[in-house]
Amino acid sequence: MSHGHSNPLQHPEVQMASRSSYLAGFVIASLLMLAATILVSGQVLAPFALLLTIMGCAGLAAIAQMYFLLHIDISEHNIWNTVALVMFIPLFVITIGLTWWMFSQLYMRTMPMIPGMPGMH
Amino acid sequence: MSSAHDKPVNPDQVVLWSDDYEGHDVISTRTFGFWMYILSDGMLFATLFAAYGVLSYSHSYYTGPTPAQFVAPWYTFIQTMALFLSVLAYGFSMASMKTGSKAGVINGMIASMVLGGVFLGLNIHDVLRMISMGITPEVSGGLSAFYALTQVHAAHIFVGLIWMLVMLYQILKKGFTEDVVGRLISLRMFWQFQAVMWVFIYVFVYLWGYMS
Repeated sequence: MSHGHSNPLQHPEVQMASRSSYLAGFVIASLLMLAATILVSGQVLAPFALLLTIMGCAGLAAIAQMYFLLHIDISEHNIWNTVALVMFIPLFVITIGLTWWMFSQLYMRTMPMIPGMPGMH
Repeated sequence: MSSAHDKPVNPDQVVLWSDDYEGHDVISTRTFGFWMYILSDGMLFATLFAAYGVLSYSHSYYTGPTPAQFVAPWYTFIQTMALFLSVLAYGFSMASMKTGSKAGVINGMIASMVLGGVFLGLNIHDVLRMISMGITPEVSGGLSAFYALTQVHAAHIFVGLIWMLVMLYQILKKGFTEDVVGRLISLRMFWQFQAVMWVFIYVFVYLWGYMS
């Protein structure tokens, strides 16, 4: 409208779709999930190293999907989507992180060991 | 200046800040608005991840089954691939829309629906398998959190499939109007975002649960 187009198919939101970009996002995310699955089912790494590795796989797969699929970049058309996401990430991390931290501290100080239960991690 | 602050604002006489209002670009405005909704949906998942995080200690399962006993990593990996392929098919469908190819969009959408249906079918089969083993939400707090998180995601997939069905009808009935194209783009973001959330559910709930 403001660009003087009457055909909605000419809109940048439509024209930014790209088969090669979607394929790249799919391949990268799939390979990372495959790697994480092989590592976890094979138990080849020490637990902490394994946890860090699969966390890395999840982070990279999410970034690849955000960039290649959801068009999160700094182009003029998409910058505000990117700004909104950048503002969203701290909320997401703080909501999960602080809740988890509060309860882990609570459990550490209050939770008695129950007979017949596996040890706490 | 001071008089403007003294008088109450009369909505009938208020002057907008821009005299030469040209109207918004409808698709861009709606797409950005829907992106705001999607990020709110992300906060819904954040609360469920937080609940699962505090309810996945050994004592959360009491003496009942833990994910290490009931998660099958390769089964859930196949589910992952079904969802990723569904998102890819939807992306190809949207790439066909660039040239206005109705057949391309509809074929991609049907492929996406079938693969999304495979994901949902595998999920339901997995839930029935667990229920038949007595692993139900009421067994422990840990299992309640596990079911809540995974099944809220599955509910999103179900809603997405219904939405695709509606869009197939609208493409056939109305063609690529501004409204229909805007909805197809919103659905694209919704569907792709479910794949991003699934990455976290798969790695932090299924895989991490299996290894601990």
